[in-house]
Amino acid sequence: MKVVATCSLFPEEIVLNGKKIESIPSNEVDWKKWVYSSLNIEYPKFHKMDSLAKLAFLGISVLEKEIDFSTYKDEEVGLIFANKYSSYYSDNKHFINYTQKNMVSPSDFVYTLPNILTGEIAIFKKWYGDNVFFILKKFDIEFFIEQAEFMFSKSIKACLCGWIESNENSEQAYLFLIENKEGIVLKDEILEELIIDKIN
Amino acid sequence: MGKSTSMDTSLKNVYITYGALVTPLGNTVDKNFSALKEGKSGIKKYTNSGFTNENWPLAKIEQISENRFDTLLRTSFIELNQKVSIATLTSSDTLVIVSTTKANIDVFPNDTFESGVTILKNELGIVNEPIIVSNACISGVVAINLAADYIRADKFKDVIVIGIDVVSDFVIHGFQSLYAISEEAAKPFDKERTGITLGEGVAIVILSSEKRNSAFHVKYLNGSSSNDANHISGPSRTGEGLVRSIQKTLERSHINKDQIDFISAHGTGTIYNDEMESIAFDRLELNTKSFNSLKGYFGHTLGAAGVIETIVCLLSMEHNLVFKSLGYTTLGTSKSLNLATDTSQTQVNTVLKTASGFGGGNASLILIKD
Amino acid sequence: MSELKEKLKAQIIEQLNLENLTPADIKNDMPLFGEELGLDSIDALEFIVLLEQNYGLKITNPSEGKDIFFSVDSLAAFIEKNIV
Repeated sequence: MKVVATCSLFPEEIVLNGKKIESIPSNEVDWKKWVYSSLNIEYPKFHKMDSLAKLAFLGISVLEKEIDFSTYKDEEVGLIFANKYSSYYSDNKHFINYTQKNMVSPSDFVYTLPNILTGEIAIFKKWYGDNVFFILKKFDIEFFIEQAEFMFSKSIKACLCGWIESNENSEQAYLFLIENKEGIVLKDEILEELIIDKIN
Repeated sequence: MGKSTSMDTSLKNVYITYGALVTPLGNTVDKNFSALKEGKSGIKKYTNSGFTNENWPLAKIEQISENRFDTLLRTSFIELNQKVSIATLTSSDTLVIVSTTKANIDVFPNDTFESGVTILKNELGIVNEPIIVSNACISGVVAINLAADYIRADKFKDVIVIGIDVVSDFVIHGFQSLYAISEEAAKPFDKERTGITLGEGVAIVILSSEKRNSAFHVKYLNGSSSNDANHISGPSRTGEGLVRSIQKTLERSHINKDQIDFISAHGTGTIYNDEMESIAFDRLELNTKSFNSLKGYFGHTLGAAGVIETIVCLLSMEHNLVFKSLGYTTLGTSKSLNLATDTSQTQVNTVLKTASGFGGGNASLILIKD
Repeated sequence: MSELKEKLKAQIIEQLNLENLTPADIKNDMPLFGEELGLDSIDALEFIVLLEQNYGLKITNPSEGKDIFFSVDSLAAFIEKNIV
């Protein structure tokens, strides 16, 4: 198995394959919107997404600077995503709506499931592959590799993996693409770049 | 670092048995089985259960009033402990996978997943960190598929899959804002259907590399998931994701569609979902197969659905009994389906179970009598 | 009436997160659920919330909404007619 690309998104910076490619202005009120604009993509649905989905969308859009996803057939990419706090951001929005604002918003509610972000990726790329979302205590690269191995034993050729978190304390995304090819699983530089502590 | 491994996972046998079932129909598998045979429904109307005091039908376990998620989980241990030895439960060769959408949502904004994991470790004696699958309404089927992956990769001997979700204001209010809740008990695939009925429950199945002590054995063959790539909450009009998942599952199982005896569908009772399923099954030429939805009995139990309904598939196979699709009288989909209108004896050897859910997810699995 | 329509356009943009649009992009008679705005079934339900939150008007059945939410014109007409 081979990790072919990685990227991480934080409110301060975007890192692609271990190199910082963008610094986000610290006074930026909506850093995700800033990243969207800087990526020069035309995808109006972005604005309707919740925080998790936006992070996932931006992550895959950054990876597309390195990866040509069109080399995969529409069933060949598996999606393996996880986080610790589930859909906390949207859960809280929905919760506040009905406990404090005496209203319920259907568009807030539909995002109260963490796997919706994989749906948004699938819609964006028109991918019909296997997909799964896990709740984990912390980011664990071995776990993702294990899941990718399961998928590779079937009809999946590449796994887009991601740890996407959006809660009251932080917003972050870490995505990587693993291909079912000969090659080492992780280079040392990429391991360092994993900045596991920062994510956790 | 690790090497690339290739696993020939199609060969190793995986056996699946039921471990526990707690729903409004009863707190054991047997009690549920009796109620199903009698055509009983776990659904009734609850006054002021809606956001603006509507009297929604719900499938609630009334005996559980406080700490509902934790209590529900604990209740399942009573039967589970009779079916699985302490040695197995506390073994390092045993894994637990939990399938849930909102877990202990009543404690939100506190961590909703924590209490369940703590109870599993401290009270059931589980030693390996449970894995939590949270993938909307397909979670149960996805979790069972994953359990088989772990066994075929020789990572565990036994994998216990627990599907669990509780009825909550959080979820009721949400579905209500989507106008997805039916004023009457859900009528999957019926002409008069108007939406879902929310339900709750806990269901446990055990997947093993070895046969357990019983006269009757079922093998899990294979499974898959596929995204619709269409909309985050509405199903694909062409049923593309469900079609692809079933195709992949058939291929991975090395099974021809003709060998399927019975289909346990998702059938939630919404106009769009049930229509989508009829289109998908018609595209695959599976629409003449004996077919049902169980959501007229249990309601839509979200993260528990895939596991609850798989247990009922096992019961159907064990007793060669197809349960009628409760709530159904007249076909209300554009494609014909062979809905079971009576509970009746019939050979049930090979079963296809499907599920669809928010996020465009679709999943399926195939079981075969040994 | 035209003041109401301009207000509505701003409210629609905010409620539906149409951040890439300005009120000038929404013509009064433009079919809101046509090709141009890319609105979907969830957006249709958000219109119901918009009416209730901002104008106190309750729609009990989403299918009633089809005609009401057809365009800014029809939406404004409905509000004018029903607002107390």
